Amino acid sequence: MANIEILDMGEADIHFIPPDEFRKFVRDKKNRAFEDKLMDEKEAVKKFVKDGDYLAYDFSSLTRGPQSLIREIIRQRKKNLWILAKFTLLESVLLAGAGCVDKIDVGFLGFGPYIAKKVQEGAVKVYDWSNGSVTYRLVAGAMGIPFIPARDLLGTDTLKHSGAIVVKDPFSGKPVALMPALNPDVSVIHVQEADVYGNARVYGPTVATLETAMASKRVIISAERIVETIEFREHPNWTTIPYYCVDAVVHAPFGAYPGGTQGYYEMDSEHYLKLTSIRTDEEMQKYLEEYIYSVESHDEFLEKKVGVKRLRELIQKSQILEGYR
Amino acid sequence: MAEIEFTDTEFMICNAARLLEDNKTIFVGWGIPQVVAILAEKLYTPNIVQVFEFGAIGPLSRTPFLRGTMGGPSNTYRSLQWCSMNLAFSYAQAGYIDYGMLGAAQIDRYGNINSTMIGDDYEKPKVRFPGSGGGNEVASYCWKTIIVMAHEKRRFVERCDFITSPGYMIDGKSRDEVGLPAETGPYRVITSMGMFGFDEKTKELKLIGVMKGLTVDEVLDEMNIEPLVAEKVVELEPPTELELKTLREDIDPYGLIISKGRKIKLDI
Repeated sequence: MANIEILDMGEADIHFIPPDEFRKFVRDKKNRAFEDKLMDEKEAVKKFVKDGDYLAYDFSSLTRGPQSLIREIIRQRKKNLWILAKFTLLESVLLAGAGCVDKIDVGFLGFGPYIAKKVQEGAVKVYDWSNGSVTYRLVAGAMGIPFIPARDLLGTDTLKHSGAIVVKDPFSGKPVALMPALNPDVSVIHVQEADVYGNARVYGPTVATLETAMASKRVIISAERIVETIEFREHPNWTTIPYYCVDAVVHAPFGAYPGGTQGYYEMDSEHYLKLTSIRTDEEMQKYLEEYIYSVESHDEFLEKKVGVKRLRELIQKSQILEGYR
Repeated sequence: MAEIEFTDTEFMICNAARLLEDNKTIFVGWGIPQVVAILAEKLYTPNIVQVFEFGAIGPLSRTPFLRGTMGGPSNTYRSLQWCSMNLAFSYAQAGYIDYGMLGAAQIDRYGNINSTMIGDDYEKPKVRFPGSGGGNEVASYCWKTIIVMAHEKRRFVERCDFITSPGYMIDGKSRDEVGLPAETGPYRVITSMGMFGFDEKTKELKLIGVMKGLTVDEVLDEMNIEPLVAEKVVELEPPTELELKTLREDIDPYGLIISKGRKIKLDI
């Protein structure tokens, strides 16, 4: 039998865990017991996010992003993280600004001149992929296979700066890109509803909610509401993530703030503007001090930095419920 | 004779919207392509099915268009399906998506596009952009890709500083040779001054239309490369009153997108 011929190789370092190693982790460290996993942001991040981890998150800072968990990661001054900027917006900007991040796998790096400057200065190292290729990597990670073939990246400089490998496909004889499986050390995901065990439900487009959770060694869920397990058993079609993928459940109303969460509240455009207008390190440090370091918790953040009046306005703006309940 | 006033962004949006066909699917990128798709849905192609990378298939457009609502309730409204990003891209990879629409920072003779960085050192870019996002998949998978971009000299180059998403020939290799899906590729490039297609044989960028009021030379002067020029270059009509009214009163009343660009006055 002929060997598969390698035609081209990207030069990026990759975070890669062989499937058997991941399986063993799942066997030994993931809990299948119905155990109450409810805890606050501080405890969840302390327990499950370590310096040097590969971190993934789902959706974006505009919509259903895990912002209270991102802020807690920053507050605990985690270091040397390697993050997956998949369909990301301001998470990468904040994490880089806070000095939490060394490396970024880029699907979409994030907005604005601040993060661009960090890359230009070499303060963070980027590897270029695309939203599709990094998502396929998560699919492979979630399937427990070492790679997945796909036809994105072919022929481009994006491929050269990714970690994909192009081979001659033994079935069709044509070049195809092999995307290495991605199994993050930890992922943080915000959902509309979860039970205390970690069964979780997302309304709206998912980006890669289940794939990210399945592929990750540790999973922290934050939820707008905590519901009884019977809610899942009554509508099993609507379960997005089953509990055994999940390590921690955080009750986080307004957990996506300043982004919105479908069916709950809209994004806060004014706060957003504050974030997107950050240009210098000084401005970044000022923002981090004012909104993250100076408070102890998500509750204190909402109370002191946002306020009931603003939160009520954001709920009021969120009037489209179709599909979100 | 009446006078009409518009921005070159409005010109670009209207001409892109006129290109689309009804009862087709279109993968929509962020920003200007979103406005193009909404305008097309309202005036020309009521049954066009918009597809978004975060996993919305066939949402019905809501206006006003709010910039930055990628994935929120207003741009996923009454979708036919909400799904994952890998499914959205897989629909395209399997051939279900007819059109793709993208912006670009740079474009070269063969329709390769750059949305990653400017400069000759990847490690120390002069300018760094967000990168591919879903652009690479759109340009790789959709049957016909339409690129919408401001017409500036520096954006048209012999070779992109970084090829983020593929055109027809990449460093001497064809799409087919690198393994991209057959019979796909860039279809039109709509700029703030004109419109380009690609030569059937050589796959090179070819000027096929210029904005009414401009000459071919005026358009070519604003390019760092010399494209092919069609035997007959058509005159591209300025936005119609209905298009402008729809854009300004209904879709983008705050002018978040359409008010940008050069202001143009034209006698019609």
